[in-house]
Parts: sequence; structure tokens; C-alpha cells
Amino acid sequence: MAKQFKSLHPIKFYRDYLNQNVRPDGRLLSKFRPVIVNTGSIATADGSALVRIGKTTVICGIKAELAQPKAEKPKEGFLICNVDLPPLCSSKFRPGPPSDLAQVTTRFVADLILNSGCIHLRDLCILKEKLVWCLYADLICLDYDGCLIDACLLALLTALKTVKLPSVDYDVAIDKKVVNEDEKKSILIYNTPVSTTYAIFEDKIITDPTAEEEDLSSGLITIVVKEKELCSVHKPGGSPISEEKLYDCIQETIKRADLLNTLINTAISEQTH
Amino acid sequence: MPATVGDFVVPGDVIADLNSLNGVTLTGPGLHSHEEHNCLLVTRAGTLCFKSPNIYWVEGLQKRYYPKKGDLVVGIVTKKAGNIMKVDIGSSELACLPLLAFEGATKKQKPDLQVGDVVYARLLSAHREMESELVCVDSYYKAGKLGPLSSDGFVMTINLNFVNRLLDFNCPLLHTLGKKYVFEVAIGMNGKVWINSHNVNDTLNLMIALLAAEQESIDNVTKVCRQLM
Amino acid sequence: MNVIDDNNLLMRKVNCKLDILSRPDGSVLLSQGDTVVIAGVYGPIEVKTQKMLINKASVETFYRPKSGTPGIGDRLYESIIQNICETSLVSALYPRSSIVVIIQEMQNYGGIISCAVNACCFALLNSGIDMKFLVASASCALDDKGVFHLDPDKLLSDKAKANFVFVFDNIAKRIIASHTSGSFNLAQYEEALELCKKACDAIFDFYKTKMKNEIANKV
Repeated sequence: MAKQFKSLHPIKFYRDYLNQNVRPDGRLLSKFRPVIVNTGSIATADGSALVRIGKTTVICGIKAELAQPKAEKPKEGFLICNVDLPPLCSSKFRPGPPSDLAQVTTRFVADLILNSGCIHLRDLCILKEKLVWCLYADLICLDYDGCLIDACLLALLTALKTVKLPSVDYDVAIDKKVVNEDEKKSILIYNTPVSTTYAIFEDKIITDPTAEEEDLSSGLITIVVKEKELCSVHKPGGSPISEEKLYDCIQETIKRADLLNTLINTAISEQTH
Repeated sequence: MPATVGDFVVPGDVIADLNSLNGVTLTGPGLHSHEEHNCLLVTRAGTLCFKSPNIYWVEGLQKRYYPKKGDLVVGIVTKKAGNIMKVDIGSSELACLPLLAFEGATKKQKPDLQVGDVVYARLLSAHREMESELVCVDSYYKAGKLGPLSSDGFVMTINLNFVNRLLDFNCPLLHTLGKKYVFEVAIGMNGKVWINSHNVNDTLNLMIALLAAEQESIDNVTKVCRQLM
Repeated sequence: MNVIDDNNLLMRKVNCKLDILSRPDGSVLLSQGDTVVIAGVYGPIEVKTQKMLINKASVETFYRPKSGTPGIGDRLYESIIQNICETSLVSALYPRSSIVVIIQEMQNYGGIISCAVNACCFALLNSGIDMKFLVASASCALDDKGVFHLDPDKLLSDKAKANFVFVFDNIAKRIIASHTSGSFNLAQYEEALELCKKACDAIFDFYKTKMKNEIANKV
């Protein structure tokens, strides 16, 4: 009976649950889903990570290539992110050019990495004006169940932390590059931005929504925090909310950030052992 | 701060303490019920108007025609399939006009209308969930003034707010023009106006007069009229 | 349009011209300082069968950059503006139709999102489509010294430590959208929010006076 009720009146179904302060999946309103982080999932990549938030699964692989820097920024390398939402991850997406959501997420994640200063592009320089590293970070969503930005950011940061770049000897005179695969070094990550997404449903705020909850909700808020500092408060439209509620969300995100940081560090230390 | 009658209101404003008759308040365009009791929410920018005893509306800009039951409109036939014609009345979708909805039309004897012809019709039904339906007869199956309009005439589109002004009984424009020219005019609530007179020159002059008057405020229309005389 | 009598807490001059295009149902040219956009609204118009919604109007937004085709950065603006339009319109009144909003960037000298959102709201007001509330947007920048600049131009926002864009409604001044870049702490965020909220009051007044003149001339 519940199934029929749900498909006929999805909003009412959901509202009835929320009035009891519980969600259809058994979580409380402010409860997060379990997060799993695995590193070094792709052996052929220079850095990789797999992240699961509930059912949402995002895998990130980073491939490093040598490139020539841009003339206007001779000392800076490149970090190129790309979020891919293949038809496999949800029936919402069709094969073909990247969907709007994929493009918006790509842009948001790329902006965030740049804004937070978690990685300095100058560190990727090998020789000024001649040779720099170009990191291609491909994020592929394997299972889409809400909080895409959170999963993408977590996967990207973890993967960046596992990147090991070989040392390169470059002879300018004869344009000869020698890559020493034996001497591998990690890149410096200065801080770890992590995000949490909230959904607005009528006058309630739901933490860590699933895809179903995101569709039913009237707006999303994504808050990104790095080391006690805010990095982004992103609310792309949707229902208006009061400041107090927004500040509550921010406080909660700051609390959760510590947990996620520990998780990333544990995952990385487990891989090295 | 609740708005009062005569104020300029914008979407989001709230009108409290409504006048009602037997607990009923009638609302016109730009007003919708508010969560709170006895309150209205403004959804369009304009001047708040009130007519005794219980009618409220917002007098504002309207650009796109939105079909309303009973409106008289001028439409252009754009498609013809079987016994049904599709007519462009300037709203979000084409309205349908059955060929049998003309005076004296039978299955064998239907009016000869082609794509591109102009009709003056009344909206029989206009529901937002459904295609609107036009008829060219009144409830006694008489055509009255409705029906196909001569292709000698000229159709122009004017502002919806100007239509209301033109149809105002006190508006001097059409009376004044009538003193100088002999002409026929069909003004549709959808902003389409059909004009016909004895010669093309007069028709064009009338059209220019209407276009000039469209830009003017109510007071200036009289002035425009004088200039034309 | 002076908001607060402090030089860096002053908004750039806002100017607008309504009904500049003849084809769209509502159109506006809005300038905030040297940033200029044109917004046009068509609606409600015929909808493509694929995008038809039976319970409400489908809202489509297009953001056109000054030159070239829209890139992924423009898609982000587009999605923000679309979300804002969807919440502010009473789309349930226009089922099986579509409302199309086109924003054309003319000149970008900082604060383009704010300018686009304000222009979009103006164009919707001008088109006479029913709206639940008005929206107004303001941006501010936080420089290295911790000083706030309201409505920064491109030079200021490029140098700034953090940039904030807020969108408020005119009923209870609640937050509809928030978009930030750079890093900052909670106290700074709160201050930026308050600052922009005050600036938005002035924009709401501006909407009202402009529309009042416009309607007085037309009706």
C-alpha cells in the first residue's frame, strides 16, 4: 500500500514521514549517510580514489602529462577537472554530450579547487616557460543517488593526495626529457575543502539528501569548508530560507568536516601501509 | 505593511482587511489567495483597484494574451483539418474553431475559409489545461457581428493595455476618427485589430493614427485626435 | 542610487530602460556601473512536446555571453538564473506552456550575476507574468585587509580575497541564492549578507519607482 501511495502522492508521502521526524530510509533529518573512501583504486592512474556516500559512487582518476605552460602564466601547471555522468549512473542521463548538471558540477568543482587554494599550480612547474605538469582529473559517477558535488569533491581531494609524480630531468638545449619513474614524489596539498549538501523541503532542512529527496525538494544548499574556514556557500536558487537556518547548516558542516578529513587521512595511510 | 486601494503594488505585496459580500471577495488579474485568512497576494505590478462592494484587481501591464471565456477576439486561420480550423489568437497555443460553428453552417454547406483568412470570434471555452475553443455564433446560433472578416481589410497588432483603452466608452479616438473616415473596425481582446475602409489610403491612415495613439497617455489621445482633424 | 554614505559601501549607478525590444513580451536593458545586460522574456508561449509539463509552465533560461557560444561557466549562471525564475514565478498558472528568459551579456565589468538576476526580474515584471515575489541581487567583495566593498567592479573583485553574490526576495528578505568564491569565515559571511541585504532594499525601491513610471505612461 505504501508503494502505491508513494507513487501517487510523492510529496504527501514524504511530508508524512518528515512530520514524524524520520525519513523513508530510516534516517533522522540531520543524519548523514555512511561514507566510504578507498584510494589507489585505479592502478594505471597516477592518483585515484573511489568514494561512496550512501549509494552515490564517484570514482576519480588523475593522469599526469607533460605540457608546455601558457605564455601568460609561464610558471603554472594545469589541473583540468571533468565530471562525467554516464547513462549508467541514473536513468536521468542520456548518452551524448555532457548534460547541464555535469557541466555545472564540473565548473563548480573546478572553481572550488582554484578558490580554496588547496593546490598551487606553481608546484606543477618543472621548468619555467618550457615544461609543466598537466593533471587530468576525470570524475565518473557510477551510481547517482544525490549529493553529487560532495562525492566529487571528496573523491577529487583524496585522489589529489595520492598523486605521485616522477621526477623529470629536462635538457633545454636539446629538448630532451628524462622521466625517472623510480623517484616519485607527492604533490603538496595545502588544505582540504570538503562539502555537505542540504535540501529544503517545505520549511525543513534535510541533510545529505538522496536523489529522490533532491527531486522532491524545492532547493539545494551546498556548503564547502576547509580547516574551519568557509570556502563556498552555494545556494543556486530554490525556495527562500532564513539566515538562521543557513547559519545552522554552516555550523553543522564545520563539525562534519573534521570527520571527513580524518576519513581521507585514514584511507591514505591505509594505502601506504 | 499591507497595501491599500489606489497604491502602486508589486508582486509579493499583501492586501489585508478585504471587503467582502457574504464572505465572498472577487479577484481580478494579478491577485491570488494568501496563506493567511482574509488576505490577498499581489502577483503583478500595477495599481490596486477596487469596485464596490467586493471586487479587487491590479491594473498593470499585460503583454501576452491569455484566453478568457467570453472574450471577442480577432484570429488568423493557420491550419485546416477536416471540420476543424486552428486559429492563431496570439496566446500560447492555437485555438480551435469548428467549421460548423458558423451561422447556418451544415455538414454539406460550410463557410469557405482558407488558411490566412481572418475571423472575428468569441471564446466559448478557455481553460488553462485545455485547448481554447472559438465560435462564430451566439447562444441562439446567430452570427451577429461574428464571422469571417473581409480580406480587403488590414490586421494589426496593438498593445493589450491599449485595447482596453480603445474599448473604453469614454475614449474619443474612434469617434473622432469616424467623423473623418468611413471605416469598419473589429477590435479583439487579444490585441489584434482589423480595419477596413473604402480605399487603401484611408486604411493606412487609420492604422497610423492607432499606432500614434498607442504611445500616448489617455489625456494626450484627445490631443492626437485634434491633430488628425 | 546611494545606499550607505561610505565610499566603498556605495552601489554603482543603476540605470534601466524598459521595452527596448519589440518582439519579446518583456525586455529591459539594465546597467550597473559599466556592466550592462539585456534581458528578454517570452511567455507564456507554445512549448515543445518534450519539455511540456502538465501541471506548470516549463521555464527555460539562456545566458548568452558577449562573444562566442556559451561555455560551462555560462551554464552555471544559467542554472542559477533558471532556479531563481522557477521559484519566483507562479508557474502553476500557465500549465502546458513555456516561459523563456534570455539574458544577453553586453559588457561585463564585474557583478555580472547580480546584474543578470536583476535584469531578469525586471523583464519578468515588464512582461506581466504572475510572480510570487520580486528578487534582487547584490554582490560584495572582501579585500585582503578585511574591508568590504559593495558592488565591486572587475578590478576590485579580481583582487579580492572573497566575493559574495546574494539574491533576496522582497517579502521577508530571505535568501534565495548565495554564490561565493574565495575563502572567508562565518562572521565575514554574515557581514557580507547584511551588507547585500541593505543594498537589495534600494534595488526593490528602484524596481517600484521604475515600474510605476512605466505603468503610469502605458495604462
